[in-house]
Amino acid sequence: MSHDTPAITGVLKRALLWDAIITGGIAVVAVVLGAIFSGGIGVVSALIGAVIALVFLGITAASIIFANRYAGGELFAGIFFAIVLGGWLLKFLVFILLAVVLKGQPWIDPLVLFLSLIAAVIGSLVVDVAVVIRSRIPIGASGS
Amino acid sequence: MDIAAISGNIATVGYGLAAIGPAIGVGIVVGKTIEGVARQPELSSRLQTLMWIGIAFTEALAFIGIATYYIFTS
Repeated sequence: MSHDTPAITGVLKRALLWDAIITGGIAVVAVVLGAIFSGGIGVVSALIGAVIALVFLGITAASIIFANRYAGGELFAGIFFAIVLGGWLLKFLVFILLAVVLKGQPWIDPLVLFLSLIAAVIGSLVVDVAVVIRSRIPIGASGS
Repeated sequence: MDIAAISGNIATVGYGLAAIGPAIGVGIVVGKTIEGVARQPELSSRLQTLMWIGIAFTEALAFIGIATYYIFTS
């Protein structure tokens, strides 16, 4: 394992931080709207939706950060894509299972939960793009 | 006999359709990243960043595709 820190790690960590901040903001709005339209159930649903979006979108960035710990090794390309794509596949399986389990619960308003989730996903995407646009990654930086 | 009749939950077909786009998208993004890194290993950090943003967009489509079923059947 190489001890180099690839340049992308800083970008991803910054993106994760801003994702958390923006998702927190969206969660507050979603909780207020959920409380207005569905009461206590709406509050819980909005919070769960925002947390799901943060965790599941964050896994991609976290998996790249983790996979880059193996940078410099002979098998790096294989390990990198196995971790990133394996994590991606696993994430979707867990997401579908979670969706099926949550849908039947009496303490969940599916509409509020998934609208909150979609709002948080779109917010995260906007933040990700903004972070990437502002990032400066030197050519020839470690990471290969 | 109606040979075009289907039974069961049509939403499963919807998920299948929703999965096609992201699957193709992620395949292209990752494949092209591998190609790019193979040609110019010194650009790998830049390419990984672009790959990550590409994956983020395609996975957002998948999330919304899966979530849509729960919105419209609630």
